[in-house]
Amino acid sequence: MGGVSVDSGGKGGRRSLDSEINMIPMIDLLMVTISFLLITAVWSHMARLNADAQVPGPPRPTEDLQNIPPEKQLHIEMRSAEKFVLIWKQAGTVISTVDVPRKDVVSVEGATRVVRFPDLAAKITSEWTTVGTHRDATDKKFDQAILHTDNDTPYGAIIGVIDAVYQVHRPFQSGTKAESVPAFNMTFSVN
Amino acid sequence: MTIHTPGRRLMHDIPLKFVTKHVVGGGGRSVNAGLSLTSMIDFLVVTVVFLLMTFSASGETPVSKGVNLPKAENTLDMIDAPIVAVSGSQVMVDGAPGGNTRAIEDAKRMQRIDDLFNILKSKRELWKTTHPGKDFPAVVVLQVDQDVTAIVVKSVFQTAAFAGYPNVSFMVNSIPKAQH
Repeated sequence: MGGVSVDSGGKGGRRSLDSEINMIPMIDLLMVTISFLLITAVWSHMARLNADAQVPGPPRPTEDLQNIPPEKQLHIEMRSAEKFVLIWKQAGTVISTVDVPRKDVVSVEGATRVVRFPDLAAKITSEWTTVGTHRDATDKKFDQAILHTDNDTPYGAIIGVIDAVYQVHRPFQSGTKAESVPAFNMTFSVN
Repeated sequence: MTIHTPGRRLMHDIPLKFVTKHVVGGGGRSVNAGLSLTSMIDFLVVTVVFLLMTFSASGETPVSKGVNLPKAENTLDMIDAPIVAVSGSQVMVDGAPGGNTRAIEDAKRMQRIDDLFNILKSKRELWKTTHPGKDFPAVVVLQVDQDVTAIVVKSVFQTAAFAGYPNVSFMVNSIPKAQH
């Protein structure tokens, strides 16, 4: 029988203090726990990328909408196979335009073709650092990014661009908790 | 305690040679091997700790058959929301059929998917009935195959928004962040 001897040095004719801990139930428990955890284990970690359809909220008659300045928005054009075009617009007026050569970094992981755009991510980060509006941790609003694609762009490439946009992070104060969150809200252009 | 002379023993004339052989160590190597329990228990405990740390109580979000999700680095944790799966030209809402995208692919222009719109709208009404007085989260999770075209994705996106779900999340497989 498996056991662990705990010798306390008892001697003489008295009842021995040398006892054994029965290890079999403990090993059984460990085996059952391992079996349960292995069977219920989740090896693939699902996650999500957020987007916002920019649907107008309910009317707020108390606010004077005329005096609210229009926000700057980052438009990302991915219609060309050679380049991305980053356009900052404010109320329809183009503020600046930057071309970023399109370099798809493709890796195959299992059955999935992962597309990354590190150059685009780096350029969006530098653009947001210089032009972005909502950078303070106490600012509850976020800068808006709008993605323009052609109809035949595969979804995997769209996710690559959204992932590049969400690489830009900013501090955000939520109550007493400070955290780092994506700097942009993302949406799609309908045309 | 005094020492006594051993008394008579029953059948003391029987030699019991095989016992003598073992007691004095004259026999062959014993087949009774000892097992070191310490290392085994250490291994089991480490395994249990590792599995407990990677354990997810929320379980695995089911992925529809035929959907090969893309992978991304800068992701958020999953939330509990209706799941719209798009694989090939088939749309499923929480596992039930929710329309077809063939008309969109043929016409090459964005269209509302009526079946999907009606199902999402009824889900929204049901949520509002069962949660009176609470703010509707308006979140839907899109589970889209990586090869589906943008026109289909945008149509599903817009349909969900029209049905009262403007907060759309794209389900992806999370991968560790690369060093940039």
